[in-house]
Amino acid sequence: MTDNVQQVEEQTEELEVIDLAGANAVIDKYIDMHGNLMPVLQGIQEHYGYIPEATVHLAAERLNVYASQIYGVLTFYAQFHLKPRGKYIIRVCMGTACHVKGAGRIGDAIKERLGIGHAETTEDLKFTAEYVACIGACGMAPVIMVNDATYGSISVQKTAEVIEKYQAMD
Amino acid sequence: MVNLTIDGKQITTAKTSTIYEAAKENGINIPVLCYAKKLLPYGACRICLVEVEQMKGRLIPSCTTPVTEGMVVNTMSDEIRKVRKTVLEFLLVNHVVECPVCDKGGECDLQDLTYEYEVVTNRFQGEKFDLPTDEINPLIERNMNRCVLCGKCVRVCDEIVGYGSYSFINRGFETKIATAFDRGLNCEFCGQCVSMCPVGAILPRPFKFKARPWQLKEVDSVCGYCGNGCTVTLGVKDNQVQTIRFNEDTGVNHGNLCVRGRFGYSFVNDTKRLKKPMIRNSNGILVEAEWEEALSAAAEGLKAAGSSAGFIAGARLTNEELYLFKKLSRTVGSDNLDHSGGECYRGVTEGLFETLGVKASTGTFPQIESAQAIVAIRSDFYETHPVVGMVVNQAIRRNEAQLTVIADKKGKLTKLPEARTLMHTPGCEINILNALCQTLLAEGIAVTDGVEDVAALQAFLADYTPEAVAQTVGGDAEAIKKTARELAAADKVAILLAYGLPYSAYSKELATAAANLAILSGCAGGAGSGLYLCGEKANSQGAIDLGIVPGAAGRGVQKMLQGAADGEVKALYVVAEDPMVTYPDRQAVEAGLKKPFLVVQDIYLTETARLADVVLPAATFAEKDGTFTNAERRLQRVRAGIKSPGEAQTDFAVFTRMLKKLGQVTAETPTQVFAELSQECTEYKGIAPADIGPQGVVWGGESLAPTKKQLKTVAGLVPMDASYLLLTGSCLYHSGSLSTHARGPLSVVPEAYVELSRSDAATLGVKEDELLKLKAGDQTLQAKVKVGTRLPAGVMFMPYHFAELELNRVYKGQPAIPVKPVK
Repeated sequence: MTDNVQQVEEQTEELEVIDLAGANAVIDKYIDMHGNLMPVLQGIQEHYGYIPEATVHLAAERLNVYASQIYGVLTFYAQFHLKPRGKYIIRVCMGTACHVKGAGRIGDAIKERLGIGHAETTEDLKFTAEYVACIGACGMAPVIMVNDATYGSISVQKTAEVIEKYQAMD
Repeated sequence: MVNLTIDGKQITTAKTSTIYEAAKENGINIPVLCYAKKLLPYGACRICLVEVEQMKGRLIPSCTTPVTEGMVVNTMSDEIRKVRKTVLEFLLVNHVVECPVCDKGGECDLQDLTYEYEVVTNRFQGEKFDLPTDEINPLIERNMNRCVLCGKCVRVCDEIVGYGSYSFINRGFETKIATAFDRGLNCEFCGQCVSMCPVGAILPRPFKFKARPWQLKEVDSVCGYCGNGCTVTLGVKDNQVQTIRFNEDTGVNHGNLCVRGRFGYSFVNDTKRLKKPMIRNSNGILVEAEWEEALSAAAEGLKAAGSSAGFIAGARLTNEELYLFKKLSRTVGSDNLDHSGGECYRGVTEGLFETLGVKASTGTFPQIESAQAIVAIRSDFYETHPVVGMVVNQAIRRNEAQLTVIADKKGKLTKLPEARTLMHTPGCEINILNALCQTLLAEGIAVTDGVEDVAALQAFLADYTPEAVAQTVGGDAEAIKKTARELAAADKVAILLAYGLPYSAYSKELATAAANLAILSGCAGGAGSGLYLCGEKANSQGAIDLGIVPGAAGRGVQKMLQGAADGEVKALYVVAEDPMVTYPDRQAVEAGLKKPFLVVQDIYLTETARLADVVLPAATFAEKDGTFTNAERRLQRVRAGIKSPGEAQTDFAVFTRMLKKLGQVTAETPTQVFAELSQECTEYKGIAPADIGPQGVVWGGESLAPTKKQLKTVAGLVPMDASYLLLTGSCLYHSGSLSTHARGPLSVVPEAYVELSRSDAATLGVKEDELLKLKAGDQTLQAKVKVGTRLPAGVMFMPYHFAELELNRVYKGQPAIPVKPVK
């Protein structure tokens, strides 16, 4: 039985030390709004790039919502991320048209250059790859997006150039 | 009322009923998985589908559909049967069928329904869940492969407990019940989710592989821990309490229990129980002895002391036993009679008696749920009485009651929705209560009809304006005023005050201040309102009712111990108490216990028993028949589920034998003794043992009318000036020193700790689990550090339950103890 007690204590992971000022500011903004959980979480994600655990506990305490409930919301919506994400999000379209035109090879090329597959992030937090279903640009398949910029009719060679371009930026 | 037809039967039911409830009331059974009487309708499982003639074309979930006039319902048809069977098939696609080794086998709703609907094969195929089992905590095991996603655990943890451990996470097939960040369960461990789970997904770990449900004998009794008086249904096999069974039909708690009630039973089966009497021999060593010898020695010692003998009872004895104990003291010719903590318990009731003329809570617990304004004095209230705390939670969530907590530290109650916390410096509850009274009077919203000494109190309270009080003891003046106004505006008010051994300072004054507030807010005597005095122990109220207090020329506990040390009290008989651990001022207690002829009657060789000349092995609540009176004046039956180990005997049997030795003939059975004591005790007059049914009997009625409304001035405390103040009290998982013998509570909180704020931890440079020494006067305490958010800077907390800590070396009944931390 004592072993179990030990485990309970051990599983309380050390929380990453982050500056909560950003999250507090977001909560301040929405504190009096009815149904404020979604905008608060979106705001936190916008500020930190993801939802750090400490901000969940902060929001739970300040909004008087259970942390478990917030976690339920965070895991329900695909838009929320619980791990840090890269500065540049590379969305690789895997829709039908792109698939036929070799999107798989584009994904492989990114993996080769950056070492990241779907939903993975480079260690320097610069890039995150995401394989997505159709992004609605079938006419220029295969297609990738880096943040808001779209790169159509792309090839393995062009993918490398795009990556290099962003690598050169900070 | 609404009229409808269910299965051809004409039914009249309340407008608020659902089809399911209406059917159930009339003995028509509709199967359910996600419905629970005490939870709000949810409609997740689709097993309860029925046909409604007016809503043709689809099947209607009966548990969420309200009844309407003229509704015609069919609860069974070929179509319904087919659909229910399909629902079961769907559930069984993913559900891992491991009934032979599942503890739920035999009482599993899914198993029973699968059998009833003959789901022999499954037309659907799919992936089985393959999730790891949560076995991290020692009390509750979660196997999500068996989960049917009914959401009862999520809802009970929110609606009833107010802790919110669980939520649904992910989406679609991946959906499951999890805690925040999908970690192992780490909560209050009340086990409400265990009792709600319709399948074997959430199980009590201590009960694993102990017995099949049909092998258990069920015995309804009353929990032996706190004064809430929850019904516990003992599951007995092989003369051992194997588990506590779910029972929502008996008693005051609707099947709700706390960690102590549900998992704290194991002290009953402990191998360290005393099994034979002991006598101190000529070498000064305690050796085992025969009952006759031990009883004679005890009886002679007490008789020899005569009027200088002292009698101290614990409030965990039954009413019948307390009555006999009192009789013993009279037979010996002594007026020195008292129970737990003496001044502490008595002080509270005396305070109430001087103001309201009664010595008990004025309302009953179910009334709290409909109160609009609730004031909890001491944030520890949830820790001492968790199940009343759950009622408070329901009042807030269901009826939007406004809770105000007068607190020296945060806690579960302060976290409840919209709870207002009036934080004050340690020991200054009275100041806040006075400020509330002051506001009521100053704003002219107080109830003053038939109230005496209003002017005197008003004049006295001139110094206690919310502004002045907020300045000296903390709290927010506006918040105090708001609370006062809410109390005045509310029809139904509940004022809650817990008392117990670690809260012995200024107890009479605190009860008086609370009574003043109860009078001025209209709470005292108001229908549906109540001032609740909640005793720490199962029968604290019974001890008050039966007058286990000093006689005319007698001494109370503290004076008895003092007298014993001075040689004036020559013999002491201590039953079901461990003063060495739990009474304030260890040095004085030890001096008082060491000198006289000491008889100790308990279930363990406690620290007190180690000092005794004669030790008598007694029985736990699970081995007794009799009655307890809970904190709302409800007399309830305690029933024996098992036999005592070895030669241990019930306190009842010991007292009757002892009385016989002293030449007194008494009634032989608890029932006969109850008949006798109900003649003598005015409160219990007219109550026959047979009247005490499943819901018990509340003496004095649902609302106990005060016999007077006498305001009394009572001064607040001056905040103590010290850089660190130590508070003591109860922690959630323990009760008195008894629970430190129970594996369940111990596995969560195994030892004493010192809790402090993050900022203090940083200042002192200590981390979680490091040892910290606290110096108080010439004494030093040492315990592991627990860093939390409950306490303000400069305030520390240590629970009082643990013998090893010897907290009472420094706790001598002070409101708070100035300490000096040394690393």
